[in-house]
Amino acid sequence: MRESDVLDKNPHVSRSALEAIHGQVFGWALSRSDYDRAVAEDLMQQAYVELLTGKARFDNKSSLKTFVFSVVQNLARSRYRRIASRLRLVQAAGMSTVDDAVQPIEPNENAALWKAVQELPERQRDIVELVFCRDMTIEAAAGVMGVTVGTGRAHYDRAKKTLKIKLTRIGAGFDD
Amino acid sequence: MTDSDTALRAALRDAQASVEDGDVPQFDRVWAAANARTRVLRRQRRVVVGSVAAAVAAIAFGLLVPRGVELQFIDADELLGTTSWTAPSDGLLPNHQFDIYQEIPVLIESTETYGGTLL
Repeated sequence: MRESDVLDKNPHVSRSALEAIHGQVFGWALSRSDYDRAVAEDLMQQAYVELLTGKARFDNKSSLKTFVFSVVQNLARSRYRRIASRLRLVQAAGMSTVDDAVQPIEPNENAALWKAVQELPERQRDIVELVFCRDMTIEAAAGVMGVTVGTGRAHYDRAKKTLKIKLTRIGAGFDD
Repeated sequence: MTDSDTALRAALRDAQASVEDGDVPQFDRVWAAANARTRVLRRQRRVVVGSVAAAVAAIAFGLLVPRGVELQFIDADELLGTTSWTAPSDGLLPNHQFDIYQEIPVLIESTETYGGTLL
């Protein structure tokens, strides 16, 4: 870590370290925003603001990547919670619920494997993505998801089993 | 990790790559935008804190100063000049050289009569 680019409010984070994981963080933000690039970029920007203001403080207890991923995850959750409550208000007022901003954009539906992953329950989908696609250990993935390692492991095992059954059904088996 | 896990990982990465294809936004641009946003947030926070402090000060001033009482200012010179105080009646005391009993008034006695009674 270069001394010169250490963040004032986050002494264990540097600009260069963030730049090194920028691409991976964007991938994660993209996945958290239903593959909407504009929303993903906004999420990233917000995550950097949290780090710059010291609202999200990294204390070196995990890797920086795990920490930034969890910041993005929390921001995405609160963002969608806000949207959901707004949607409920609109529905309660009997107004139209058609809103482009909250319609998730479907990823490439032709990819059977990706579709199978998307059909998994939320927690299972997250851990599969973090471990298989984002190079994380189950421990780190559990940290990002805000669950215990034991729970993370249970989600991981269940997800793998479900995924293998689904893929065998569609003829893309991954038998041991 | 078993062989099937490795195969699953490879397949998932391919699928993920097809979904996430496209350019990653430039770090410098996102970083600059985040910095600008941080500055705006700090400015907003300063304004909010300043307004709250001013409101609290105004409320405190309004509560502490009693209403309907006119403020009076004391002249500093006058205050410093007032080092002793004497009662106004002190002037009648003997050590002030004026004793109301010092001189007994002389009463003129009349011996003349009028109609059988002393004048």
